[in-house]
Amino acid sequence: MNKTILAAILVTVAMLGFTYASIEMAGGLDKFLSGGDWVNMLAILGAVVLVAATTFVVTKYIRQMQNDTVGGKLADENWDGIGEYKNEAPFGWALIYFGTIIWAIWYFLAGYPVNSYSQIGEYNEDTQVHDKKFEAEFAGILKDPEKLNEMGESIFIVQCAPCHGLTADGMGGKAADLHTRISEASVKHVINNGANYLKTSFPGGMPPMLLQDPAQIDAVAKYVANGFKADDVAGKEAFTAGTCNTCHGENGEGMPMVAPKLNAMDADMVAAVLKDGKKGAIGTMPAFTNLTEVQHKAVDAYVASLSKK
Amino acid sequence: MFHWLEKRPFFFAVAVFVVIAFAGLIEILPNFAQASRPIIGAKPYSTLELTGRLVYIKNNCNACHSQLIRPFKSETDRYGHYSMSGEYAYDRPFLWGSKRTGPDLMRVGNYRTTDWHENHMMNPPEVVPGSIMPQYPWLFKNVADLDTAYAEQLVIQKVFAVPYNTELPTADGSKVTVKLADTLEGARAEALEDAKVVAADMKNQDVKDAIAAGNVPEIVALIAYLNRLK
Amino acid sequence: MENRPLEYDYTVAKLFMYNAIFVGLAGMLAGVVLAWQMAFPQFNYVLGMDLAEYTNFGRLRAIHTDSVIYGFVLSAIWSTWYYVGQRVLKVSMAESKFLMFIGKAHFWIYIAASLIIVVSMQLGITSSKEYSEFEWPIDAGIVILWVLWGISIFGLIGIRREKALYISIWYYIATFLAVAMLHIFNNAEIPTYFLTGGIGNWYHSVSMYAGTNDALVQWWFGHNAVAFVLTTPIVAMSYYFLPKESGQAVYSYKLSLLAFWGLMFVYLWAGGHHLLFSTVPDWMQTMGSVFSVVLILPSWGSAINMMLTMKGEWQQVASSPLIKFMVMASTFYMFSTLEGPIQAIKSVNALAHFTDWIVGHVHDGALGWVGFMVIAALYHMAPRMFKREIYSKSLMTTQFWIQTLGVILYFTSMWIAGITQGMMWRAHDEFGNLAYSFIDTVTVLHPYYTIRAIGGTLYLVGMAMFAYNMYKTMTSSRVVEESELQNATPMGA
Ligand code: HEC
Ligand code: HEC
Ligand code: HEC
Ligand code: HEM
Ligand code: HEM
Ligand SMILES: [Ca+2]
Ligand SMILES: [Ca+2]
Ligand SMILES: [Cu+2]
Repeated sequence: MNKTILAAILVTVAMLGFTYASIEMAGGLDKFLSGGDWVNMLAILGAVVLVAATTFVVTKYIRQMQNDTVGGKLADENWDGIGEYKNEAPFGWALIYFGTIIWAIWYFLAGYPVNSYSQIGEYNEDTQVHDKKFEAEFAGILKDPEKLNEMGESIFIVQCAPCHGLTADGMGGKAADLHTRISEASVKHVINNGANYLKTSFPGGMPPMLLQDPAQIDAVAKYVANGFKADDVAGKEAFTAGTCNTCHGENGEGMPMVAPKLNAMDADMVAAVLKDGKKGAIGTMPAFTNLTEVQHKAVDAYVASLSKK
Repeated sequence: MFHWLEKRPFFFAVAVFVVIAFAGLIEILPNFAQASRPIIGAKPYSTLELTGRLVYIKNNCNACHSQLIRPFKSETDRYGHYSMSGEYAYDRPFLWGSKRTGPDLMRVGNYRTTDWHENHMMNPPEVVPGSIMPQYPWLFKNVADLDTAYAEQLVIQKVFAVPYNTELPTADGSKVTVKLADTLEGARAEALEDAKVVAADMKNQDVKDAIAAGNVPEIVALIAYLNRLK
Repeated sequence: MENRPLEYDYTVAKLFMYNAIFVGLAGMLAGVVLAWQMAFPQFNYVLGMDLAEYTNFGRLRAIHTDSVIYGFVLSAIWSTWYYVGQRVLKVSMAESKFLMFIGKAHFWIYIAASLIIVVSMQLGITSSKEYSEFEWPIDAGIVILWVLWGISIFGLIGIRREKALYISIWYYIATFLAVAMLHIFNNAEIPTYFLTGGIGNWYHSVSMYAGTNDALVQWWFGHNAVAFVLTTPIVAMSYYFLPKESGQAVYSYKLSLLAFWGLMFVYLWAGGHHLLFSTVPDWMQTMGSVFSVVLILPSWGSAINMMLTMKGEWQQVASSPLIKFMVMASTFYMFSTLEGPIQAIKSVNALAHFTDWIVGHVHDGALGWVGFMVIAALYHMAPRMFKREIYSKSLMTTQFWIQTLGVILYFTSMWIAGITQGMMWRAHDEFGNLAYSFIDTVTVLHPYYTIRAIGGTLYLVGMAMFAYNMYKTMTSSRVVEESELQNATPMGA
C-alpha cells in the first residue's frame, strides 16, 4: 500500500482511538449511549465523519501532488507573474455544490414549513417521553426504601453536595453538617433571634428571647446539640423553663405543624427546608423548587438517613 | 459578466456589497421594526442591580458563564425553566455568552444565596473543591460606580421608554414598581439602602465598613445582581 | 503584458509586518497564560494577588482574542495588502504621495487605537460583546481607520496598470466592505454621558438593541467578523502566495469564481448557527444550520484550488518548509470548514455549543489555517522587502513541525474535552435524574486542559523561533539579488 494512504489510515484510527479511550475514562461510551440519547450518537458520528472525510480528501490531493502532472490552457492575463489555468472546476465538487444549494432552497421553502419544527414542541415531547419512561420504571419506588435512598443519594450528589459537600459535612461550616441534628451555635442563634423561615410546615414560627439568662441559654444549647441526654439535668430544666417543650415536645420529638423535631433529623424537616429554604446561624439555604414529588421524597429519605442523632 | 465586473472595480464592489448585504436585510431588518416585548414578570434593573451588572461585564464573567437555558430536559433539570425571549427585554447588552466553563447563571438567584456568593467569590475552590474559577478579592475593596448605572437608567428610560416608576404586573398577579430616583443623590441613597439589605447577610469586615461609610463595594452590587437572576 | 521592472515601495507593509510579529507573540502569550489558568487556576495570580484584577482569566481573555485577531491577523492582512496590492495592480506606492500619506496615517492611527484598546481592556472597559468589546470612542476610531484603508484600496486600484482585478483583490475588497457594514450595525450604541448632562463615565454607552435582538445583531456580526477577518483575507493571501512561491499557475479560474461568489452569498446567512436553541426565531436558526452545510463547498473550493495548484509538485512540498506551511494551512482550512458545518447541525450543536469543542474548532482555524498562512506570507515577503534571504531554513522547518505538533495537541485535547463535557452535561442516571454535578464536568477536563496548555506553549515557542528568524532575516542574513526573488524564496541553511 502507498505510504500516504497508510499514514491517512493511521491518523484516522489514532484520532478515533484516542477519543474512544478518553470517553471510556469519563464513564464509558455505553453509559452515554444507553440513555438512548441520539444526540450523543450523532455527535460521535459527526466526529468520525469529520476526521475520515478530511483525511481522505486531503490524501487524495496529496497523491495528485505526488503522481499527477498539471496541465490545461493558460488564460491570457497574468498578475505579478501568476497565471491562471482555464481548467474546469472538479466535477464532483461542482455537483455536490449545486446539490446542496438546491437542497437548501427546497428545505427552506418546503422541508422546513412542512415539518413545522418548533424547538419548544420538541422539548415538550422529549420531556414527556423521559418522564413517562422513568415513572413507569420506578412506579413502586416509594415503597422500596433502599432504592429510594439510592436515588436520594444520586440527587444529593448533584444538587446538594455543591454546598453540603460530598460527605454532607457542610464543608467547614459553609452549610449545615447533615450528620448531626444541630450545633450549639445554631440553637443559640435561634433562641436569640427567633425563627420564622419554614412557614409552610411551621406557620407560627418561633419567637425570640424565650430565654435571656446566658447560663440557661448555654445549658439548653448543649442539651439540644448533644441530643437530649437524660443525665443533663440543668439542660433539661432550662429547656422546660424556656417553654421549649410546649412546642418541641419533652425530648425534642417535635410536633407536626407546630415545631420541628430537634433530637434527630427526619424526613419532614428536610422536606420543610427544601420547600421554604432556611436561614440560620451560618447562612441561608435557598428553597428547592424544581424537584419533583418523588425526587423530594428520595432526598428527604437520604438526608434523614445520614443523621446520627 | 464576471470578467466585465473584474475590470470595473466600482461595479464589482457594488455587486459584492449587494450579495453580502442581502442576508442582513432579510434576517435583521424585520427585527429592527419591533421593540423588545417584555414577558409578564420581567422588570427593569434597579440602580444597584444595574451597577452589579456592569461589574459582571467589567470582569468579563460572561467569558465563562452563559445566561441562556436551552430547551433540553438536561438543562431545565439543572438550571430551571428554559429561557424565553421576553425575559431579556431589559438586557442591554444581552449576556448569553458562548462558553460554559462555569455553569449557566440565568436563574442562579433561585438556588444560591448572598452568603454563599460571598464565600464563593472570595475563594471559589474553598467552597467548590476543584473549581477553576478565579478568586475576586478586589471586588470587596473597589467601590462600585453607581453613577454610570444611573446615567444608563436615565438614558434607557428616555430613549427606549423602559418603564421605571410604573406599576408592572408579575406572574402571580401582584404588582411591582422599580423606582428610579429624580436626582443622582437620590439614586445613590436608594442604592445604598438596597445595598444594606444585601450586606446584612455578609460577614466581610471591609464590606461592613464601606457600607457604614456610605459606600457600596462592587461585590455587594454584583451579589444584588446575581440574586435577582431568577 | 509588458513586464517592465517597477520599484515597489514597502514602507507601510514593513511597518505592519513588525507589528504583526510583535503582537502575534504578545497575543499568543496571553493565550498560553489563559490555557495554563484553565489547567491550574493559580496562574490567575501569576503577578501576585494585588495584580490579579488585571491578570485573571476574565480580563485576559478579551485581550487575547482582540490582540490575536485585530493585532496579529489584521496587521498581517494589512502588511500583505500593502505588498500584494501594489504587485498585482502593478503600481507602486511611491507613485502617489497621497496614498503614501494615507498608508502611514493608517498605520499610526492603528497603533494608537491598539494601545488605547489594550489599556481599556486591562481596566475592564468593555461592552461585553465578543470580538466587539470596544466602547464608543474606540468604535469611532475604528471607523476612521477603516475609511483610511478604503481610500488606500480604491486609491491604489484607481491608479492601477493591470486592468482586471486579480482574485486576491476580490477578497480584500469583500473584507473591506463586509467589516465596515458589520462594525457599524453592531456598534449602534448611545453614549450615556452626554444625554444625562454629564453623569457617570464619559466613555460608557448602552446598546441600541435589547436581549434577543441584540444577540441577533451581535452574532450576525460575530460570525461574519470571523468570515471576513479570519477567512476571506487569508484566502486572498493563499491565492497570491502559494502560486507565487511555487511558480505554478492557479489551477482553475472557474473554481475561484464559483468559490468566491458562493462564499459571499452563503456566509452571511450562516450566522444563525451561533444562536441554535436560543430565543431567536426557529426559522433563522434553521437558516443558519442549512446554509452552514452549503458553506462547505465554497470553502473547500478555494482549498481544493490550492491543493490542485500544487499538482505534480511534490518535490516542492517536500523541500520547502514555506510551502509546507501553506499546504498544511489549506488542510486545516478544509478541516475547520467541515468541522464548523458539522457543529452547526442542530442536534450536534445541542451537544457542542458552550463546550471546548467550539474552542477547539476556533483554534483549528486560527492556529492551523490563519496562523500558518500568515506565517508563510510574512516569510515570503521579508526577503523581497529587505533584499536578504531567509536567515535559516532549518529553523523554519523545525518551527513547522513544532507548531504542527502544537496544533494537533490543541485540537485533539479540546475536541475530546468538549465531547466529554457535552455528554456529561446531558447524562441522566438510572433514575432519570442528572448524573453529574457541574463541578464533576469541570474536574474531569483537567488533563485535557493541561495537554492544550502544552500544545499552546509549543505553538508559542514556534512563534518565537519565527520572530527570531525574521529578525535575523531583516538585519543580518545574506543579501540577495532581485533575480533570486522570482519564485521560491531564497533561504540560508
Ligand atoms: C411557640 C412555639 C415554640 C417554642 C416555645 C419554642 N420553639 Fe423552637 N421552634 C419553633 C418553630 C415553629 C421552629 C421552626 C422555625 C422556622 O420556621 O424556621 C423552631 C425552631 C427551633 C430550632 C431550629 C431548628 C433548626 O433545625 O434550625 C431550635 C434549635 C429551636 N427551635 C429550639 C428551641 C428552644 C431551645 C426553645 C426554648 C427556649 C424553643 N425552641 C421554643 C417553635 C417554638
Ligand atoms: C446554596 C447552598 C445550599 C444548597 C445547594 C443546599 N443547601 Fe442545605 N443548607 C445550606 C445552608 C447554608 C444551611 C444552613 C442553614 C442554617 O444555618 O440553618 C442548610 C441547611 C440544610 C438543612 C437543615 C439542617 C439542619 O440541621 O438545620 C437540610 C436538611 C438541608 N440543608 C438539606 C439540603 C438538601 C437535601 C439539599 C439539596 C437538595 C440542600 N440542602 C442544598 C445551604 C445549601
Ligand atoms: C475561569 C472561568 C470563570 C470565570 C472568569 C468566572 N467563573 Fe464563575 N464559575 C466558574 C466555574 C468553573 C464554576 C463552577 C465551579 C464553582 O462553582 O466554583 C463557576 C461557578 C460560579 C457560580 C456558581 C453557580 C452555580 O450554579 O453553582 C457563580 C454564581 C459564579 N461562578 C459567578 C461568577 C461571577 C459573578 C464571575 C465574574 C466576576 C465569574 N463567575 C467568573 C468559572 C469562572
Ligand atoms: C464552513 C465554515 C464554517 C462554519 C459553518 C462554522 C461554524 C461554526 C459553528 C457552528 C460554531 C459554533 C457556534 C456555537 O455553538 O457556539 C463556530 C464557532 C466559531 N468559528 Fe466557525 N465555522 C466555519 C469556519 C470557521 C473558520 C475557517 C474559522 C477561522 C478561524 C472559524 C472560527 C470560529 C470562531 C472564532 C468561533 C467561535 C465563536 C464564538 O466565540 O462563539 N470558523 N463556527
Ligand atoms: C499560542 C497559541 C494560542 C493559545 C494557547 C490560545 C489559547 C486560548 C484559550 C485558552 C482561549 C480561551 C478558551 C476558553 O474560554 O475556553 C482562547 C480563546 C480564543 N482564541 Fe486563542 N490561543 C492561541 C492562539 C490564537 C490565535 C492565533 C487566534 C486567532 C487568530 C486565537 C483566537 C481565539 C479566539 C477567537 C478565542 C475565543 C474562542 C471562543 O470564544 O469560542 N487564539 N485561546
Ligand atoms: Ca466565544
Ligand atoms: Ca462597541
Ligand atoms: Cu459562525
